[in-house]
Amino acid sequence: MTVFKDYVKNKFSKPAPLKGLRVLEVCTLLFGPAGPSFLATMGAEVIKIELPPVGDVTRSLNPFGWFYREQGPMFMHINPSKLYMALDLHIDMGQQIFKELCARADIVEFNLRPGVTRRWNIDYEEIKKVNPGIIYVEKNGFGQWGRYAEEDRPSNDGAAQALSGYAWISSFPNRPPLKQSIWICDVYGALMCEVAVLAALHHRRKTGKGQYIEMSQSENIMRTMGWVWPYQQLTGKGAEPSGNRDQCICPADTFLCKDDLFVAIAAPAPDEFKGLCVAMGKPALAKDKRFKDHTTRLQTENALAILKIIAGWARSKTADKIEQLGVKHGFAATRLHNSKDMNKDKHRIARGFVKMIDDPLYGTYPDHEFPVMMSASPPKNRWTVRPVGFDNDFIMTTILGRSQVQIEELYAHGVLGKWKDQQGRRPPKDWDGKSGAILRR
Amino acid sequence: MTNYKRAKWADWADHIRSLDDPAKNFEKPEALDDIVVLDVSSRSMAGCYCSSLLAELGAETIRIEPPGGDIVRSYSPSGIMHQGTGLAYLQEGRNKYHITLNLEKPQGRNILKSLVGCADVLIETYPAGTMEAWKIGYDELKKLNPRLIFTSITAFGQFGPESSRKQYDYDNISQARSGIQYGTGEVLPEGKPVDEMPYAVPTKAGPWIAWATAGTFAALGILSAVYFREMTGQGQAIDVSTPEAYERLHDYALHWYADQGVLNERFGNLDTALWLYGFYPTKDGGVFLGGLRLEMWKAFVDILGKWDEWEADTWTTLAPFMKKDWQVKYQAMINPLTAQFTSQELTQKSIEYAKTGRLAPITPVVAEIASPWKTMQDENWRDRGIFTPVQDPVYGSVVCAQAQWKATETPPRTKWVCRPVGYDNGYIYLKYMGFGPVKLKELEGMGII
Repeated sequence: MTVFKDYVKNKFSKPAPLKGLRVLEVCTLLFGPAGPSFLATMGAEVIKIELPPVGDVTRSLNPFGWFYREQGPMFMHINPSKLYMALDLHIDMGQQIFKELCARADIVEFNLRPGVTRRWNIDYEEIKKVNPGIIYVEKNGFGQWGRYAEEDRPSNDGAAQALSGYAWISSFPNRPPLKQSIWICDVYGALMCEVAVLAALHHRRKTGKGQYIEMSQSENIMRTMGWVWPYQQLTGKGAEPSGNRDQCICPADTFLCKDDLFVAIAAPAPDEFKGLCVAMGKPALAKDKRFKDHTTRLQTENALAILKIIAGWARSKTADKIEQLGVKHGFAATRLHNSKDMNKDKHRIARGFVKMIDDPLYGTYPDHEFPVMMSASPPKNRWTVRPVGFDNDFIMTTILGRSQVQIEELYAHGVLGKWKDQQGRRPPKDWDGKSGAILRR
Repeated sequence: MTNYKRAKWADWADHIRSLDDPAKNFEKPEALDDIVVLDVSSRSMAGCYCSSLLAELGAETIRIEPPGGDIVRSYSPSGIMHQGTGLAYLQEGRNKYHITLNLEKPQGRNILKSLVGCADVLIETYPAGTMEAWKIGYDELKKLNPRLIFTSITAFGQFGPESSRKQYDYDNISQARSGIQYGTGEVLPEGKPVDEMPYAVPTKAGPWIAWATAGTFAALGILSAVYFREMTGQGQAIDVSTPEAYERLHDYALHWYADQGVLNERFGNLDTALWLYGFYPTKDGGVFLGGLRLEMWKAFVDILGKWDEWEADTWTTLAPFMKKDWQVKYQAMINPLTAQFTSQELTQKSIEYAKTGRLAPITPVVAEIASPWKTMQDENWRDRGIFTPVQDPVYGSVVCAQAQWKATETPPRTKWVCRPVGYDNGYIYLKYMGFGPVKLKELEGMGII
């Protein structure tokens, strides 16, 4: 496509799509903050509001004790390109300032237990009074009403994987249900929520009306599970897991290869299946009555038969060889990638999907770009996280017009706060006291 | 609605419910009712999922299939068909008008061009270069409609060294390329050959999560492009590569390898970055246990009756528990203890502990690992409208996961689940092309529709 020629090189010569939008978030962990960061990479101004002086719990999280320059690596991945404010919403003056910000914002997002925003006097009804067009979002485990919400059950990604049936169906048969290695319900849920937000924005443009949106991370992942629900309804049987075998597409599975690496293969369409049979040196299989068309192949007995044949063949070839045969014969095949491939793969880098961030506080490190390339308005991941309350003065001055004296007073009353002297909250050790600060250095 | 003890803040719950209960969705306007979407996606459910999301929000969505239908209609467990349609497509045909059009013929492509003139969004999933070869690529179509948002969802993207590959996009392939499958699954014990434990391998997830993720990112891109178009009048091309979209949901693996050279190896039902956080066996299945704060972990140890024996009193930080060897050690100690209870008993113990435990109200998260069957029967989700069957004029009553979010003004809704192949040829071609029965018959005879 000619419009994507030199896309990466020219990215910054074009605006981002959500230019001019302002988003406030009062969120911690992943389900909450991941969504606004999608909007931030698409060009919205996102202000992350934390409670001083400790802020978001994610600042403490780390795999096996690894921090990046004292910062939690998942905090960095989940929260790029935002402004950082620390405002105490427990106290009246903090709530007043929050409302002033809401009056100048388009979107506000929370992930709190049900009813907490009301305790803080910043619930939808209150905010609507200062900004009727506000798009007001609450995300949590079970929503704002219903039995589980009213029981005040705590939730998180693992609980959502468990309760939704997602973990059960993502396992091998006759094995214990398997937890995902990623926080899928959190981050996918956050993604879907922004679809809700941008649709609401479109409605607001037409009508001037804002709205209230609530989302549960369990309910949301159920939407992705497609065929499972009508299957259970129409057959009266529970859907069961099938490991790496795709129950709806045949052949589609993961196979062990000669070099002890794994390859994934898919070839449901007639041309693809024929290509695979030719690649295996068994062109007659494409005409075998058990495998003659996709629906016939999907019958469990037939599916297991063809997968066994493919498995035997795959074990005699290297993963790379099979991937090449896929290209040659027109069926889908790939060697499994890992985090080394994420870093080294030329395709990811050429597309700018994996890129180096050049940050005034945290230096250079690789991160993902927003995975939607847009020819006229490219999204851009630009900078990483900041210490708690790092951008307070900038926000209070440019958006709310407070003088330095007024700002000092708010600090003195504990309304505004800054980082605690603790890992992940304070700036990195080698910070020069200036870099990254916007208004005053 | 079942009876349960109402919360102290039940008035809040009732208030919100009065505003956003999905039972009232059909009384409300639709956010995208001014948007027309053409979905010509082929073989990939990422495209169909994307157009479903837009159709659930009220976009007039026209699904264009080759005569005879797209192969996605055959995607179904064990090949089961419901009135000629596979169960997967019975979910993602929702709210769409279904027409047929043969894009391999020039006349078919001319008709597509005419439809593009009336459309806001086009979604396609052919390998890069296919649409161009047919002279209906973005460069051609934008001449006809500069406001068009032309969206491609593919395995390899529209540019980059591998984008010349002519392979279609499949969910399991994208999961494998994302790097996520590599790090997910049971751990193979050292010295054991895989052939003995064929389940202890990199394991893909859920029904088509990579496709769903790519479709959702694409929908988000489309909506942001609509916003941008309102400001500038300008349409654009959108390029989503499914493995990239799914990989974006991975958190720190990319950075961890870059900084430490650590590969994202499998860690079974534990979590490399969190404690207490994992799946544990029970008498009748398993539970998820979570407690990211030291107190929550201590509370759980207390529930197990191991407070003194394990000297929980002396613990001052979670840090050592996050380490790999401690995680494995404590997992082995916890497993036999949780296995003495049913999932329900453990859940109740956690609720009870919040009231009367030594650390109350602090308590760990305990959640039963439900089968999808159990999930579908769960009164809580049913009450919240997730599994309300859709009364479809063709397919009858069909359960669809819906109401994935609740909203006061423009909630998503499902009006019908699917349509047979070419079911809406009459309506759509008359509306946009002025083709009546005579012309349609002629086109049918020519193999165009």
